[in-house]
Amino acid sequence: MPMEQNTINHRVSELDRHLVEFAQLLRTVGLKVSPSEISDATEGLTLIGLVDRANVEAVLRATLVKDVQHSQAFEEAFRAYFATPEQIQAWQKAVEQKTTKWDEQIESTRKDLRFQDNELEITDEQRAVYASLREKDKQRLRDFLERSSQGTRSGIPVDHSYQPMVERALRGSLEYWRKKLNEEDEPILSPGSTDGVLSEVERALREREAEVLSRDLKKISAEEWPEVIRLIRRLSQRLASQVTRRYRAARRRGGLDMRSTLRRNLRYGGVLVERSYRSRRKGRLKIILLCDISGSMLKYTEFIWQFVYGLASAVNGMKNFAFGETLIPLTGKFKKGQTFEEMVKEALNVSGKEWGGGTNLGKALEALQKNFPAFLSKQTLLLIVSDAQTLEPDKAATLLGEIRRHVRQVLWLNTLPERRWLETPHVKAFLPFCEMYECYTLGHLTQILSKQI
Amino acid sequence: MTDRMTLDQFEKALETAGYISERDDRIALTAFLATELGKPLLVSGPAGVGKTEIAKVLSKVFGAPLIRLQCYEGLDETKALYEWNYQRQLLKIQMGREHLQEADLFSTEYLLPRPLLQALLSEERTVLLIDEIDKTDSEFEAFLFELLGEFQVTIPEMGTIKAKQRPIVVLTSNGERELSDGLKRRCIFLHVEPPSVNKEVRILRAKIPDLPERLALEVARAVNVLRERLSLNKIPSVSETMDWAKALLVMGKTGLDAAWVDATLTLLLKSQEDVELFYREMGAGRLLFESSKATQGEKHADGAKHHKS
Repeated sequence: MPMEQNTINHRVSELDRHLVEFAQLLRTVGLKVSPSEISDATEGLTLIGLVDRANVEAVLRATLVKDVQHSQAFEEAFRAYFATPEQIQAWQKAVEQKTTKWDEQIESTRKDLRFQDNELEITDEQRAVYASLREKDKQRLRDFLERSSQGTRSGIPVDHSYQPMVERALRGSLEYWRKKLNEEDEPILSPGSTDGVLSEVERALREREAEVLSRDLKKISAEEWPEVIRLIRRLSQRLASQVTRRYRAARRRGGLDMRSTLRRNLRYGGVLVERSYRSRRKGRLKIILLCDISGSMLKYTEFIWQFVYGLASAVNGMKNFAFGETLIPLTGKFKKGQTFEEMVKEALNVSGKEWGGGTNLGKALEALQKNFPAFLSKQTLLLIVSDAQTLEPDKAATLLGEIRRHVRQVLWLNTLPERRWLETPHVKAFLPFCEMYECYTLGHLTQILSKQI
Repeated sequence: MTDRMTLDQFEKALETAGYISERDDRIALTAFLATELGKPLLVSGPAGVGKTEIAKVLSKVFGAPLIRLQCYEGLDETKALYEWNYQRQLLKIQMGREHLQEADLFSTEYLLPRPLLQALLSEERTVLLIDEIDKTDSEFEAFLFELLGEFQVTIPEMGTIKAKQRPIVVLTSNGERELSDGLKRRCIFLHVEPPSVNKEVRILRAKIPDLPERLALEVARAVNVLRERLSLNKIPSVSETMDWAKALLVMGKTGLDAAWVDATLTLLLKSQEDVELFYREMGAGRLLFESSKATQGEKHADGAKHHKS
């Protein structure tokens, strides 16, 4: 009997171990799994049994996945984690090969990138950029290092004290290449996880990214736009219906709240000592939309048009502005039957500006404050759609701070991926004054709108 | 719980109660899991796919009365949990000024239990349906934590009330807003998609016994095409499909035709925008054509399945 008990305990702990590992895998791919949910999963599996794969999947899904959006990640993780040992071994082997190749490449950059036989201090990401360059471009950088190593200053050969200067120049060059290689914002990083299963899940999810919701908005093709437009409209309607609030009991203002008053005064024997009031009905939010139409945002033009148009058709009295070098009011120019594109073009013609110039958010905010002070009230939601690449960022940040004090909320939809924010000084300057969300896929937009704004 | 069911028994009981489910939709298994683990079941999915129905059928299966809390914006605990009977309390105060103790006023006698408290106080096991939880605000959601986690509530004047019998709790959400992690963590989660053609045919046949199978199939296919091909603001719900089928039956039709679809479209599409979208992008003729094409597709798929097996 004790032996049997022991076997059962052993089996249970083996199941626990697998579940914890699986939960960890799910966490790595973005799900939030708490210990209590793992315990639910264990109980569920004990109840349903492990015989039927589909049932096991259903139990794990019901207890560990609490959001439909995570469904895909769960499916891939389940497929990979519960694959046959041979399959897992094959993935592991593939990852190991990749990692070895990667390590060799990084090692060779250590040999290549030297100044007077000293290794240069550059980050792994920069090394990775170098490793992904074409041989010709690599050679150019090596030549530069070679020449600077043997260079002279006023006839005297340079010594190692020049190394920081060379490093700076090299970093600048590699930064240029990173941006160039990174046009698509795909990070050049190590081959990912060293774990075969995880790397397989990551690969499968990347493949699934081909689906519209998670694809970068600038990559959506013309045929797919009607579908996307409908999605945006639906999201906008949802936003519009969210911005209402009903009566709420509050201390003063509005009419007397009889029920709440009686309730509060029961403690005084029913004598009305304290009074409760209803608060005034809060009006609908006034939305001011500020859209960046500068050169760097050109690729998101279609998205912005549709977003603004969808929002404007769902929210009454929305004030629209575009900005590039200056503020371009689009308010009051909506003619019946006119498309949004025509409206923007007309507005641009009137102001003599064109789509795709430079950006100066500071100037735009200044103009907004000066010319439209009535728009900025405690009921205003200022919605900025921009990648935060602007001239005079400090001025713009100060102005944004001032405006923040006058309005209810400043929401910034940033088309720049979040992982690039902290290395972009401009974004850092704006962060304290607004709620910034990365927004370059429809999936992002859906998430932002589903958080109750 | 005295008589525990197995999953098979539970699936059968669902079917006997008139609820059609398929293995692929995982509804039976997940609902079984929630009732057996004693956890609230959170059901999400578009409107009209049968989320509320799950609670109703659980009530039938377990012979437990259904207590329903319909959520809306601004719902607070006085409407959901309890309210003091002020009039009675005031009367009592007036009647017995000298001998009155505070405890006299705050006893169950003066308590008006609302759905949540009713479910906790009930002597027999109940099914508590908290419908459209996404319509409430996050404060109310947080307020539910104690109930959903521990099956108890705290009334400041009286103390903690524990459930006499743990109710089976079903929460539904249309996904209008994201629910908090805390709430989700406490629940077993089920996402319900609109039914497949086969399942819908089974539902139609179960609910409208007079409906010929061929007609049920045509109706289910046409509705399926509407759901999948058009990006409607509101997809036709199962009950709307049933209304449509009933209308066909009442008018003595034996099959779908374009003129009939035109005449009865408003039974399925309830907004002008959706009707316009339908005529702009599809039209009745195309709908019938697409559903007959779907028939062929299904045949192929079936053939492949048989072949495989």
